[in-house]
Amino acid sequence: MSRMKFYCDDNRCIECFACSVACAEAHELPTGISRRKVITLFDGIEGKEVSTSIACMHCTDAPCEQVCPVDCFYIREDGIVLHDKEKCIGCGYCLYACPFGAPQFPRDGAFGAKGAMDKCTMCAGGPLETNSEKERHLYGQNRIAEGRVPMCAAVCSTNALLVGDAESVSTIYRKRVAGRGKGA
Amino acid sequence: MRKYMTLFIAALCLASVAYATDSQIWGEMRIQNILGYGQEESWKLGPLFTLLQSKYFAWIFLGVLLGVPLVFFLHYKIVGPKVFPHSHNKHYAFNLFHRTVHQIAAVSFLVLLPTGFIIVFGDFFGGGTLVRMAKNLHGLFTIPFAIVVIPMALMWLKEALFNLEDVKWFMILGGYLSKEKQIINATQFNAGQKMWYWVAILGGITMILSGAFMFFLDFKMEMLHNITGLSQIDLLRVAAILHNVMGFAVVALFITHVYMSMFAIKGAVHSIITGYVEEEEVKILHNAWYKKLKEKGKF
Ligand code: SF4
Ligand code: SF4
Repeated sequence: MSRMKFYCDDNRCIECFACSVACAEAHELPTGISRRKVITLFDGIEGKEVSTSIACMHCTDAPCEQVCPVDCFYIREDGIVLHDKEKCIGCGYCLYACPFGAPQFPRDGAFGAKGAMDKCTMCAGGPLETNSEKERHLYGQNRIAEGRVPMCAAVCSTNALLVGDAESVSTIYRKRVAGRGKGA
Repeated sequence: MRKYMTLFIAALCLASVAYATDSQIWGEMRIQNILGYGQEESWKLGPLFTLLQSKYFAWIFLGVLLGVPLVFFLHYKIVGPKVFPHSHNKHYAFNLFHRTVHQIAAVSFLVLLPTGFIIVFGDFFGGGTLVRMAKNLHGLFTIPFAIVVIPMALMWLKEALFNLEDVKWFMILGGYLSKEKQIINATQFNAGQKMWYWVAILGGITMILSGAFMFFLDFKMEMLHNITGLSQIDLLRVAAILHNVMGFAVVALFITHVYMSMFAIKGAVHSIITGYVEEEEVKILHNAWYKKLKEKGKF
């Protein structure tokens, strides 16, 4: 089985924040948590400005999974990296290991203690029963189980945000690069 | 004492202000963090932390946890404890303040160490409520230790400075390798105790600070940031690495300290409970101190 990947085509991203907002709305995320974030480099510099949308990249050999002291991560056969919030102790180690700054922590404990880690699930829920009330509450919608694409990609008006198995994502991207007639 | 309390509370308040503002890690700094990850010119702290945490830390902790007691078990079996009579003259060496400060630190350590191990082996304990509770206790019991660490450092600073005699002490390992009661020319603290003092104090402070960084996550570290040029996330990685490495030393010497006071020198632990040290014990193990006390007519 091929692995699921995200790709954001920065030639197309128009910095509209739709992905980020739609994600937060769909999963009813607490304030302060954004699983997907739009980032702009060289803001306002003509010809150089470039935007892209970042979330958990569902790494192959995910570093977060390697460092977790309670071993609460599990990587699905299709490559989606998920974790068990009921096991997580909010130690923050996954954040130190992650190259993309994806893991985030709601402050729900006493004295500002970090709560269970939250990150993008590629809309694939968690270890609980698919589409159960509890799964939805802890991890948000499980759109993958329903055969739908993740929310962020669904709302991307320029189709900058691609998601799917690595093969087809790179096929689409190669076509685009060829069409533009210039390098990636 | 009052002053330290106020300082500590002020630090806590500052910290809560710090995380009320938006975190740098997911904001402005995020681009820098992503671009710097594992690059040639960076410190490669992300990959380094991942490697250490996934392959080494837990094993080293396990080695210390089993290895150090094993060595002492063998020492106890082969060399055996030193026994001194406890009915002789005594000298009142540790006043109530010394003992209270020491006991607060002791109780903190007795919670910090086991809970630390539960976190390190969180997988073994199944994660979830138990390990989360251990993590919270680990953070909570840092507070009493943080309160007493400075007074403790000050009250024993003079006794803990190394001198030439300590070199000799190290060469014969304080005479603990022989069954005989050799006279050791140590002052109030011998070289071993001094070593523990420095590890507990400097290591302890390092543990408190790195732990606080990790706990609060958004602890503003402007100064450190300006000096090192590291981003917030890299400072956190440094904190995590330091916290673990320092942990090895603190755990190893803590076990040593407990073994020495409870087993190797039978009943030595009473001196920090009652405040009295016993004459023959002082005469043999801390002869330089003994002579001084004798001159002053304390025995
Ligand atoms: S949390 Fe970070 S390290 Fe883990 S899979 Fe996502 S991007 Fe990769
Ligand atoms: S914060 Fe949670 S998921 Fe992340 S490493 Fe710690 S226990 Fe694992």
